[in-house]
Amino acid sequence: MSLGKYLALDKLANLFNILKQNGGIRGTLYKLYRQEEAKDGVLVGEDKFGNKYYENPRYFYGRSRWVEYNEKFHLNYDASQVTSEWYGWLHYKTDLPPHQDPSRPKYKWMIDGNENLSGTTGQYTPYSTTRPKVEAWMPKKAE
Amino acid sequence: MLRQPLSRALALSSPARVAPLAARRYADAVPAQPEKVEVFIDDQPVHVLPGTTVLQAAAQVGVEIPRFCYHERLAVAGNCRMCLVEVEKSPKPVAACAMPVMKGMRVKTNSDLTRKAREGVMEFLLVNHPLDCPICDQGGECDLQDQSMAFGSDRSRFTDIHFSGKRAVEDKDVGPLIKTIMTRCIHCTRCIRFASEVAGVDDFGTTGRGTEMQVGTYVEKMFLSELSGNIIDLCPVGALTSKPYSFAARPWETRRIDSVDVLDPLGSNIVVATRTNEVLRILPRTNEEINEEWLSDKSRFACDGLKRQRLVTPMLKDSRGNLAPVEWEDAVVAAARALRDCPPDKLLAVAGGLADAEALVALKDLLNRLGSEHVCTEHYFPTQGAGTDLRSSYLLNTKIANVEDADFVLLIGTNTRFEAPLLNARIRKAFIHKETDVALVGPKVDLTYEYTHVGDSASIVKDFASGTSSHEVMKRLQQAKRPVVILGADQLKSEEGPALLAYTQELAHKLQENLQDKEWKVLNVLQRTASQVAALDIGYQPGVGQALAAGPKVVYLLGADSGVVTRESLPEDVTIIYQGHHGDVGASIADIVLPGAAYTEKRATYVNAEGRAQQTLVAVSPPGKAREDWKIIRALSEVLGAGLPYDTLDEVRDRLSQVSPALVAYGDVQPNNYFAQARALAQSLQKPVSGKLDVQLKQLEDFFMTDAISRASPTMAKCVQAVLKQKNSPY
Repeated sequence: MSLGKYLALDKLANLFNILKQNGGIRGTLYKLYRQEEAKDGVLVGEDKFGNKYYENPRYFYGRSRWVEYNEKFHLNYDASQVTSEWYGWLHYKTDLPPHQDPSRPKYKWMIDGNENLSGTTGQYTPYSTTRPKVEAWMPKKAE
Repeated sequence: MLRQPLSRALALSSPARVAPLAARRYADAVPAQPEKVEVFIDDQPVHVLPGTTVLQAAAQVGVEIPRFCYHERLAVAGNCRMCLVEVEKSPKPVAACAMPVMKGMRVKTNSDLTRKAREGVMEFLLVNHPLDCPICDQGGECDLQDQSMAFGSDRSRFTDIHFSGKRAVEDKDVGPLIKTIMTRCIHCTRCIRFASEVAGVDDFGTTGRGTEMQVGTYVEKMFLSELSGNIIDLCPVGALTSKPYSFAARPWETRRIDSVDVLDPLGSNIVVATRTNEVLRILPRTNEEINEEWLSDKSRFACDGLKRQRLVTPMLKDSRGNLAPVEWEDAVVAAARALRDCPPDKLLAVAGGLADAEALVALKDLLNRLGSEHVCTEHYFPTQGAGTDLRSSYLLNTKIANVEDADFVLLIGTNTRFEAPLLNARIRKAFIHKETDVALVGPKVDLTYEYTHVGDSASIVKDFASGTSSHEVMKRLQQAKRPVVILGADQLKSEEGPALLAYTQELAHKLQENLQDKEWKVLNVLQRTASQVAALDIGYQPGVGQALAAGPKVVYLLGADSGVVTRESLPEDVTIIYQGHHGDVGASIADIVLPGAAYTEKRATYVNAEGRAQQTLVAVSPPGKAREDWKIIRALSEVLGAGLPYDTLDEVRDRLSQVSPALVAYGDVQPNNYFAQARALAQSLQKPVSGKLDVQLKQLEDFFMTDAISRASPTMAKCVQAVLKQKNSPY
């Protein structure tokens, strides 16, 4: 073991690296506020929503690939905003990100995935199929 | 078909008037008190009058003998055999319901022989009874179910039904109220006895014998009675069930709330069965003073009208003259502005037939605070003479239960059968069981019993009052020991109303003076609606005629739906505020609609025709934005700046008790007096009368739809259709 490692200097280097990559102390604090962790990693790609996908094998398996959602979502990000192309890579189903995978089929009938609208105004609300218990009186309209 | 004890059968003497099934005795014959006999029920000694049946004697010591055909209010049939008990020294078990007690009789209701007999009877009953309890509407309230669990065997020896099948009977169509599944019938004949004894319809009977026996109308015919729903309650099995309630709920799922009916003036006691904030059905609640255990069809089946045509939100007329839904705040402010801008003498409040006493007193207090005295009811009552100052002049003073003891009943201009069906059932009971005679002045109508029709001219009442009549009824009236005179309040609307009331008071007073029984009251006025008595007690002016003629600027309708207030009878620029629970006549002419609660949705006081205050309880919550009526008026008073001094129901009732303590004496009837004073004040009104007396409800089809709730009810509409269809049938 090298002396640097023995004195945990590499950890210190990582810290500085993280601070640098995330845009200094302010930027890192903002990332911590927004996504509760600040990591350093290699930008692997970006999907059409502007979400950025990172990888750093230094973190253990399962945490080594992550997504940073587009700024426009701010705190309202949701796992359903990950596109279907990137889903496989993010979940270790494949090591090839979509833009480096030549064997992925691309048909014109394929549509974009859509995010989960629960809790928003666009959410699905079931309507009652039973008759109302009380029928209200409808006044006659004057001609 | 129907059997009765021999002693009763022999007592059927008078051939002119055949009383079905029950013995007649004279009402004035005071029976000598016979000596009591001692019998032993399961070795417990009990002293009973001779003639009591074993079953009744057992009930006195708290031993209930199982029965299907026996019913306390019907004649004894003794054909189900379920009440078989062992009697010592008797070779065979005897039917307890038909067996009179004998001195020293020792009855064993739980011996081996008795139990074996019951088990055998139950086995026979179940031979042909379908095992469809899971889809039967009677499930959970079925006597056969309960008693087969308690007294039946665990198996049947009639194994051949697996090969031959059970007896099946075709269902009958007896109208839109009663569903028949005749295969389930166990031939107890309760429905037949009810129809012929209480309802006065002799269409029900049995055909065939043995296995072939069938209960039904002989030809397919509707059960034309205003009391038909009671046979649903009477049926111990699921052969007769309620058509509107079929497959709706099980009895253990429903909540039962005691309440009071408001669709006729008698205030029958009811139980409202609800589930998930919905009224599912209405059943009678026993009250010996009013409805015994019966209920009229309108009260029972009009409950689906509570779910149709409801006012669920406040409404205001928009610029185009259409009523549009608004928030409470807007409606109340608009109503308050209309009331405030109106000169007090141009303000008019009209209370309808379903208004409760709390709302009535709140509305009157509000108008009085605004400086107006124009608070009226829809139905007229003469204000000349004693007017409505003496309570005895507008009540059923005899009381409903006492009508049974009357020996002569004179009906003046009233069809009690449809105006107060259960009062009519009492008169019929007296007619059948007690040799009471009935006479009618008014149009010839079917009262379900025979009566002497005196004519339909009002002058007959005058002749009776002056004693100049030579009619046989006059003599009967004078000889009667407990006469009853019932005057229909509808007759008082006309010009001759005051005179008619004066003559009736005169007649009643003359009859009363000669009575030995000084406590007996003769004079009765039968009101038409549930709210009228309370309104008159609170001090409403009866009738709207004069008030409408004065040209009011603002009219406040409290559930006034009978159509006496119309746009045509009012000035062009009038503002009509309607408060009520149904979109009916009143709401359709209104400018501002305030949604109130119906009688199942509020805790409210109603005073019935005898002057008995009773309260309804909250069974379901008012729909949508509707609120309890007195609260609406209270809120309105606050916006008007004339706040009423009560915030809770108890405080409103305190106010009611200030107006009249009788209004909060729940369940009691205050004794009424001052008949002589009322008559003395009315004497100057005894002017010649020449008109004819007519009643509004003549036929069965007129009976079903008379108020906002029953007019909204699909079941009642079906009844009217069915009755009209039956009229065209050859049977």
